[in-house]
Amino acid sequence: MTSWRRLSPLIAAGVSLVAACGGGASLSPTVGPPESTAPESAAPTMAPMADICTNPPKAAGTTLTFASYGGAYQEAQRKGWLEPYAALTGVTFQESEDSSNATIKAQVEAGQVTWDIVDVGNDFGLDAQADILEPIDYTMVPKDEILDGFAGTYRVADITYGVVLGYNTEKTAGQVPEGWADFFDTTKFPGKRGFWDYSAGGIFEFALLADGVAPKDLYPLDLPRATTKLDTIKNDIVFWGSGAESQDLLGKGEVAMAMIWNGRAYSAKNIDKKPVAIQWNQQIVTADYFVVPKGTPNKDAAMAFIGWASCKENNAAPSKYIPYGPTNKLATADPSKVAELSVSNINDTTAYFDDTWVVENAQLLEDAYQEWKTR
Amino acid sequence: MRQLRPVNARSGRRSREGPIVNRWALLAILPIAFLGAFFLVPLVVVSLRSVTDFAKPTGDAFANYGRFFASAANLRVLGNTFWVATLSTVVCLALGYPYAYLMNIVRPRVAGLLLIAVLLPFWSSLLVRTYAWQVILRDTGIINTFLLDSKVVDEPIPLIRTTLGVMLGMSQILLPFMVLPIYAVMRRIDPEYTKAAANLGAPPFAAFRRVFLPLSLPGVLAGTLLVFVLALGFYITPALLGSPKDTMISQFIASAVQQRLDWGIGSTMAVILMGLTFAVLVIASRFIRLRDAFGSLEES
Repeated sequence: MTSWRRLSPLIAAGVSLVAACGGGASLSPTVGPPESTAPESAAPTMAPMADICTNPPKAAGTTLTFASYGGAYQEAQRKGWLEPYAALTGVTFQESEDSSNATIKAQVEAGQVTWDIVDVGNDFGLDAQADILEPIDYTMVPKDEILDGFAGTYRVADITYGVVLGYNTEKTAGQVPEGWADFFDTTKFPGKRGFWDYSAGGIFEFALLADGVAPKDLYPLDLPRATTKLDTIKNDIVFWGSGAESQDLLGKGEVAMAMIWNGRAYSAKNIDKKPVAIQWNQQIVTADYFVVPKGTPNKDAAMAFIGWASCKENNAAPSKYIPYGPTNKLATADPSKVAELSVSNINDTTAYFDDTWVVENAQLLEDAYQEWKTR
Repeated sequence: MRQLRPVNARSGRRSREGPIVNRWALLAILPIAFLGAFFLVPLVVVSLRSVTDFAKPTGDAFANYGRFFASAANLRVLGNTFWVATLSTVVCLALGYPYAYLMNIVRPRVAGLLLIAVLLPFWSSLLVRTYAWQVILRDTGIINTFLLDSKVVDEPIPLIRTTLGVMLGMSQILLPFMVLPIYAVMRRIDPEYTKAAANLGAPPFAAFRRVFLPLSLPGVLAGTLLVFVLALGFYITPALLGSPKDTMISQFIASAVQQRLDWGIGSTMAVILMGLTFAVLVIASRFIRLRDAFGSLEES
């Protein structure tokens, strides 16, 4: 008893200090891949669909909260979708720039849902999250027009992008790495390598592609084979935690090559004016998704917005500002960006995530990853 | 248990009709309620989650703990956590003791300046300081650019993503927690003691070692404990400045909670870290009178 009492002043001090030190930047989430869930039957086509695309329901007085990942990305979504939609319908948008799967879960569990539409990565919005998400209302969303595998029960892709091999052309001295095998060849291409510090972000997939596995044979992932391959360059790997960090590391040449999201490589080259190029071979095409947290009071208005933004007329609008998208097969991307889009560079080496497998095996992946990384 | 004393306890008389507890103590209700609502309740929730929230249905309440200890990586990172905390405590002590000693022997005005210098880091956020270290330590950072440009080295020397980087970042943040308790205790040591030792023939170092050092030990122990316990919870600094070998358990907790939404295992790791931290405090309390050590802070 006495020892506990003697502890108390220290505990009180410690508690407040630990709280002060504990805050950290959240790692930037992802964007992601096609759904391997069985395709659902096409939604019944209803008359309102065409209406939603050109003449969405007026909803003056409604406030929708839109959560995404901030920065140039959210700015493109704002200019491409939120502002025109607000002008058309009278909806007022509130924005949050810190989309996070954990926040959605916390809001739903607490019964305090303040986000109506959330842009999430490919590792979220599957059946595993059935408890915390509203099913997408496909009477308002043109499911048939969305790329195959990118429209699920609880999510519909809003933007496609590629996880690609980016390289610093000064560091590779004019040579062009042809794919992930060259990424793992530090004799031919000296220098460090950047990988996203996340077990489900693509690191295992790229190691297997480098080792000769065909894109269609990636899953289930052969983790021992992947970690053996990763061991060959382990001391040269720099792990990055956010898109901005990857852009910076590759642009400054701290790494000669990096696994990077194609929009970040684009920004390094065109905005930072750095010697950065993309090798589209063996890219992984994936997507960000719209989800609607369960219990939002604005469910119908949220679905109407998602339906409108998914229409072929509107879906590609953000591509005017950032090289991401579209997800609607019939949408036309902005001519200035069309060559820079992941979906414009699909070839027979292109791979896709199997989101369902990845999410179901998240713990397995994480254990194998940490076991390899901290070894 | 100690009795609650009346207000004028010093005089030994109970105040007439006075309350048992000082009325001013009622002011503590608010902070206590705050701590209860925002610290104690979440703590209980997290603890409960570790035995009720499972990734896969199970009848075993301790399944999460089983999962945690079954992974070699978890144990390795737990070991790392204690190793990095120990290392940063040693670094802080090596820097902090001489610093506090210096503060104690210089003129008050200089001591004030030294105090400001050690507190300066508190004026900017931990995150900003850590990013500043990145700018200094990275391969294209200030130090390496200078060394490369002046042809001292051909290749950037590894500073970032090393244990050295973590130590620099963490000790800068933690140093005040070492210096302040030591300084507070040193200030209470009567300078006449050392003079008396000298008078009795002790050479300066012997006077320091046999008289001053033992008297300053409560501060050393308090600072050591405080720094160590704080270091155990570090997260962003080792993530940004360290290598995978410096990974700390808080990083695993963040990944479980934010990326995998596996709040059960995240809670389990948090409870394990808390339990071990508590164990450190309990063991320490056998050797130190924590109340004295930390009470002394109030005088500084």
